[in-house]
Amino acid sequence: MTGTAQHRVTLAFSDGVEHEMAVDPGGSVLEAGLAAGLPLLHQCRSGSCSSCLATLVEGEAATLPGCSSSLLASERAAGQRLLCVTGASSDCRFALPYDSKVGENRAVEGHAFVNAVERVAADVMRLELELAEDCWFEFRPGQFIQIKVPGTDQTRSYSIASTPAELPKIELLIRLLPGGVMSEWLLGQAAVDTALEISGPYGAFFLQEASKAPVVMIAGGTGLAPMMAMIDVIRARPGRKPPIHLSFGCQSAEGLFHGEAIALRSMWLPSLTVTTSVDRGPAPDGVRIGNPVEAVGADGPLDPETVAYLCGPPGMIEAARRHLQALGVAPGNIHAEQFVAS
Amino acid sequence: MNEATPVRRRSTVRINTTSDQRINDSKTQSQYQPYKDAAWGFINHWYPALFSEELPEDKVEGIQIAGIPIVLRRVDGKVFALKDQCLHRGVRLSAKPMCFNKSTITCWYHGFTFDLDDGKLSTIVANPDDPLVGTTGITSYPVEEVAGMIFVFVREDDFPLEDVPPLSSDLPIRFPENSEKFPHPLWPAAPSLMDEGAVALGMHRTGQSNWRIACENGFDNAHILVHMDNTIVHALNWVLPLGILPNHEEPITLIEDEDGPKGMMQWLFTDRWKPVLENEALGLKIDALNGRFYRTSVVMPGVLMVENWPEEHIVQYEWYVPITDDMYEYWEVMVKVCPTDKEKAAFKHRFDRVFLPMCLRGFNDCDLYAREAMEEFYADGTGWDAEQLVSTDISPITWRKLASRWNRGIAKPGKGVPNATKTSSIRLRRLAEGKAPGYFVQKIEDVNSY
Ligand code: FES
Ligand code: FES
Ligand SMILES: [Fe+2]
Repeated sequence: MTGTAQHRVTLAFSDGVEHEMAVDPGGSVLEAGLAAGLPLLHQCRSGSCSSCLATLVEGEAATLPGCSSSLLASERAAGQRLLCVTGASSDCRFALPYDSKVGENRAVEGHAFVNAVERVAADVMRLELELAEDCWFEFRPGQFIQIKVPGTDQTRSYSIASTPAELPKIELLIRLLPGGVMSEWLLGQAAVDTALEISGPYGAFFLQEASKAPVVMIAGGTGLAPMMAMIDVIRARPGRKPPIHLSFGCQSAEGLFHGEAIALRSMWLPSLTVTTSVDRGPAPDGVRIGNPVEAVGADGPLDPETVAYLCGPPGMIEAARRHLQALGVAPGNIHAEQFVAS
Repeated sequence: MNEATPVRRRSTVRINTTSDQRINDSKTQSQYQPYKDAAWGFINHWYPALFSEELPEDKVEGIQIAGIPIVLRRVDGKVFALKDQCLHRGVRLSAKPMCFNKSTITCWYHGFTFDLDDGKLSTIVANPDDPLVGTTGITSYPVEEVAGMIFVFVREDDFPLEDVPPLSSDLPIRFPENSEKFPHPLWPAAPSLMDEGAVALGMHRTGQSNWRIACENGFDNAHILVHMDNTIVHALNWVLPLGILPNHEEPITLIEDEDGPKGMMQWLFTDRWKPVLENEALGLKIDALNGRFYRTSVVMPGVLMVENWPEEHIVQYEWYVPITDDMYEYWEVMVKVCPTDKEKAAFKHRFDRVFLPMCLRGFNDCDLYAREAMEEFYADGTGWDAEQLVSTDISPITWRKLASRWNRGIAKPGKGVPNATKTSSIRLRRLAEGKAPGYFVQKIEDVNSY
């Protein structure tokens, strides 16, 4: 039956808004939705960035022939689909992990000036930008922007570590990679007042609506950036704050950064607990040896309502998903952003 | 991109720099950044609004706390509080109170009518069928009334009502339940507003400085120098030190019990603080006769308790309720437990003749002008960086840090409210008419003339 008939597909946003549309044989759900004018998050349109993630809740939908999806088998089994590479094999229904207003934060293109460049660890730079007059956008904490690396035609994506309230300032945490184009620019030429071409915001990884459910955040390396933004936004939300456990890990002590910024957050937010880990020793005082995933749930079971945010390299995300699901966290409550080194 | 259009920076703001050669270096300052941001006060806390006697049955009164205008009305003894800013076009309901029944308040301008209970728009006088009716409203504020004082929980519009903590979590700790934790061998257990039979007598007035400057003065152990020449000190021959110095590794203990108030206790008149009675170089020596032991503590959102002051069995409470970023309502309240009418009358008698004129005025007037003397240094924001704090300033620094941790929210600058725009022509005209900007709404007194 695949590839022959048109099917009816329903997309359900998290705020209860639903849309039904027809998807042509061989076409992707994302394309059909965008053609119908729906505010669907997307970016690469080729199955790699995970921006268009949705959960299949009814019917059948498979990856289109000739396309590939970066989802793990376990994720597919849990119903997750990347809409840009997914076709409808029957009438079906998808749940979107964001509300119908998110897509209204449409990505824009413009410039941002460099305010500060600072090395914060052996392999991490902090880059502070300020949106130029030609550029303004709103974003949700957790989302990322793209920067065109000056003097090249390459772009790189970085999660925003600061909050929407701090705009036009934007803080990024960037991992240095030997030979990486951005790394070379940062080390060699980056200077205050340089204007960069940027675009954004992007991504379906962002802080969910306020709730009292406990929050777990697992961050590997510069995966800390979106967590900092989310923690600061939770702190400013009215009402009683949920318990938050931030588990931050780096490979070694030289890789650790932002210790002071994290300590300030735990001082200002009594409901925040932080564990810091390094994969291999020696470990400074207060830092454990091990991976940041195992540190979660180490001293007691997790609340079944727990909402988890994961950001780091693919291996860490996969391990964290498995670990959290084994601890009883619902797959739909696990939100992840993985980054690929480049 | 169009290469012909130059990319321009937004207009930028000046950034202050800080020297590291002092107690409040930039690292310490960053620990209390949320406090530095709280120029308009902390929000989602309980604040005193009025004395009970200021709001008799059916009266409507308008005030402003932390940039939020609030209207209060008493019906059948119960006090209700709503945002005093009409949904329609922002008029203050309290400027010309209009109430057609016991359950609502009506805006005198175009008749938007709000339920006292929850602020819902329940009708519009001349437009009862408007589709807006029942779908929207103004924010309501929880109210508590104890010992002759009305307290309001001043919240952000979207702070959930089910998260509102009890009033006691924003009031000083109580005795004797805390006598073991904080022993006070030199005086009897201090009374509390929440005690059975507690009577609160006091006054409130507007001070022209930021609320933080005011609050920090209350528990600053070096500031008692300003009281050196106060009448009551000499009339009663009190030993009031020139200053009190920290003399222990823990001169201050944090109060951070799970469900209780959050604040700090200063171990005054124990070996943890050393009173200074003499300065030889200046030829100064305090040689009065009567010891006057007391102890100060402060809890969020800035409530001072002076135990054993101004005499045994009495406690003095103070609040520095933010109105705007440059005004606060100064509350001075003495509390005594008076189980009988006779004791009540005796307390009132002594309050009127001695404490009101010589303590709340007199002695505390000194604090009022001392705070205003500091205001200009801090008013443009630079004072917080430029101040050069010393060891006795452990008190304000500890307070700033704990306030940064335990506040339930930082008030945003008042929107569309009196005195948010410092140079509005109305404000200037009122000043010219001799009306100082303050806490209460400017009422329309005579409906037929202006
Ligand atoms: S848009 Fe990138 S994976 Fe679908
Ligand atoms: S301003 Fe209140 S009804 Fe119009
Ligand atoms: Fe004083």
